[in-house]
Amino acid sequence: MTPLFALLFDSLDERLHLRAPGRKTANKVFPDHWSFLLGEVALFALVVLVLTGFFLTMFYRPSTDPVLYTGDSELYAGRVLPAAFESIVRLSSDVTGGLFMRRLHRGASHLFIGSIVLHMLRVLLTGAFRRPRELNYLAGIGLLTLAFAAGFTGYSLPYDQLAGTGIRIAFSELLSFPYIGDQLAFWIFGGTALTEAAIPRFFVFHVMLLPAVILGGVAVHLAIVVRQRHTQFPRAGVDGHRFVVGKPLWPIQFAVSTTLILWIGGVLALSAVLIPWSDVLIVGPYRPGEVGNNAQPDWFLFWLEGALRIFPPIEFGLLGFVVSGPFVAGIVMPGLIFGGLAVYPWVERHVYGLKGDWHVLQNPLDIPLRAAVILGTFSFVLLLSMAATNDIIAVLTRIRIEAVTWFFRITCLLVPPLLAGAIFRYSTRRLARRGLVVADAETATDDRTASEVVARQAR
Amino acid sequence: MAEQEPPLQVLSRRVPETTDTDEAIVVTAAVVTVIGAVGFVIALLLSSPLWVYGSLLAMALFALATGIRRYFAAGFPDVEAIEPRAQPVGARQDQDNHDGHDDHEDGATAGAGAIAEVHSVGRRPFLTRMLLGAGGVFAVSLLALVPSLGPSPGDALVTTRWTRGRRLVTSGGMPLRPDDIVTGGINTVWPEGAIGDEYSAVILVRLPGEAPQPPTRLEWVVNDELIAYSKVCTHAGCPVGLFRERDAALFCPCHQSTFDAARGAIPTFGPTARALPQLPMGLDDEGYLIALGDFQAQVGPAFG
Repeated sequence: MTPLFALLFDSLDERLHLRAPGRKTANKVFPDHWSFLLGEVALFALVVLVLTGFFLTMFYRPSTDPVLYTGDSELYAGRVLPAAFESIVRLSSDVTGGLFMRRLHRGASHLFIGSIVLHMLRVLLTGAFRRPRELNYLAGIGLLTLAFAAGFTGYSLPYDQLAGTGIRIAFSELLSFPYIGDQLAFWIFGGTALTEAAIPRFFVFHVMLLPAVILGGVAVHLAIVVRQRHTQFPRAGVDGHRFVVGKPLWPIQFAVSTTLILWIGGVLALSAVLIPWSDVLIVGPYRPGEVGNNAQPDWFLFWLEGALRIFPPIEFGLLGFVVSGPFVAGIVMPGLIFGGLAVYPWVERHVYGLKGDWHVLQNPLDIPLRAAVILGTFSFVLLLSMAATNDIIAVLTRIRIEAVTWFFRITCLLVPPLLAGAIFRYSTRRLARRGLVVADAETATDDRTASEVVARQAR
Repeated sequence: MAEQEPPLQVLSRRVPETTDTDEAIVVTAAVVTVIGAVGFVIALLLSSPLWVYGSLLAMALFALATGIRRYFAAGFPDVEAIEPRAQPVGARQDQDNHDGHDDHEDGATAGAGAIAEVHSVGRRPFLTRMLLGAGGVFAVSLLALVPSLGPSPGDALVTTRWTRGRRLVTSGGMPLRPDDIVTGGINTVWPEGAIGDEYSAVILVRLPGEAPQPPTRLEWVVNDELIAYSKVCTHAGCPVGLFRERDAALFCPCHQSTFDAARGAIPTFGPTARALPQLPMGLDDEGYLIALGDFQAQVGPAFG
């Protein structure tokens, strides 16, 4: 420590008594595996989103009133545009660093959602959701849903052609809700002139409400991890049930995290250079009654879009309300998937008669049900996502769109259960071949104390 | 590693004399809270003046405060306790006396369920429930502000701006005669005076070959080949913007709902289950295309 830093630290320490908690924090042990960093990637993406978001919010106008654009963009010179879109054109063309900030924000949003999905996949595959971590797992699923909502409201704000179409479909999805769908849609969208009223609403959701809830949720999520301590892979010589083994925060984990943050910053910056994220200027402003040919939402909603496309035509009355395709494909199906994922920890616990707490991660192939559920669910979601591009596939392969749609209807229905069944059988046989069964409790492998473990390793 | 939290060091303790008055006050406060909260909801939903529902909400808050205060004051001992400070830094004190004695270390709880050390005097489940109930009613009453977020749908989703005699105009505002429409072409048209009203968007088609067949309403077809349908897709509300000449198919780019324009726009493929409503169309005295009335089927996606 330099003298100046020592002086500053001491003056803080006199007032706040930092040494003991400081040492405890610095010595905190972090299990070491690359896949444990996925959550950190999401966290850093969130930081980028908030910081770039501050900048963007200073320029964005949440209104659809017609405004004359008088800036430098040749594409829109002298045109009357909706105020929200016009503010985006101005930010992109007439503000130094504006387009860069927009691309950083958009790129970070893709990274945010993508890393959350990968992080969830890691948690599911390795069993980090098992008791006592079920609550945190649920918090994570909640955060994923909020991230989807933030992404959707966010890319709707520029009010371009694609955004307006998406808002329209969201309104119709709300309408399809039983009994109260129409009133619910009018409350959330502010009325029937839905795209006009929607933009100020989405602004409040995206800039105030969702960030507040997400940041609170992340704080809770991290606090629980700190309190319960992180799970870890099995490690010879250390009883994982009783001890956490890994790298201390200072200096190693700090170095890893800092390096990771800077690498990710670099990747985002480079992506903003190479990839024209969110180039809404090419798409053009939303005009009522118009729709572009390639009407796709952002990638993380492809699975819902695909479901809407391939679902067979249904519309019938049931118990006094209308059951329609959008209701089943857009509300019931995702509800079942998220609900199924949410209850899975308890299902696994019940099916295998699990007991006690678990702190050591497992190989998913050792638990047949888990491997089957994960592969089945994710293959279903993946196939649905591919179905969202059925019109593009039809154009590229010159196969008729009807045939492509039928192909996806059949594969989405048959392939996931077949894959699930196949890996269930494979996993069961693999266990039998090795003479193993699914462990029903995580027990201490030995009763040595921490110092005994250390002494043994030193030898 | 179970660290026991030290017990509360009590200086003085005074057990209150709970009287019937105290009970009565808590019960009355709970009741007044509920009256105020429910009154707030009713006044707001009946569009009463601000001073009415504002005062009712204030009354509910004051009453809840009174009830909670009296519940604790009359039902729990008044306790004064001491807690050691961390080693304070005096004028001549050394700095190396920071020993890890940190009062805010996490420690296991001292025993099963023993978080609270100061307990209530006697058990009063009735009062507790009354206050919790009142608090709950109050919290829920705040939802009365939700209906302000948007209007009641009414018939906004059921009627459009099309009326008898209303001319069909282009997005630029020009009325149309039959000769203005190209064969096999489609036009997006609006009611005159309501250009851009989403639910009123109409697609005007000149059939390329085939004559229109039932279930097309032939009395709404002009010159045996000009038909107008609602442009709002009956699946999820996207504008049905594409037309395939070879089979006179209207095609929605969002989820590929396909409608047969020569047969009343009934769905032939895709996820939609309902035909596009046909606009009753005719000609006025000057030969311009006009509507003969509003749509007679549900426009756009299903609800309710």
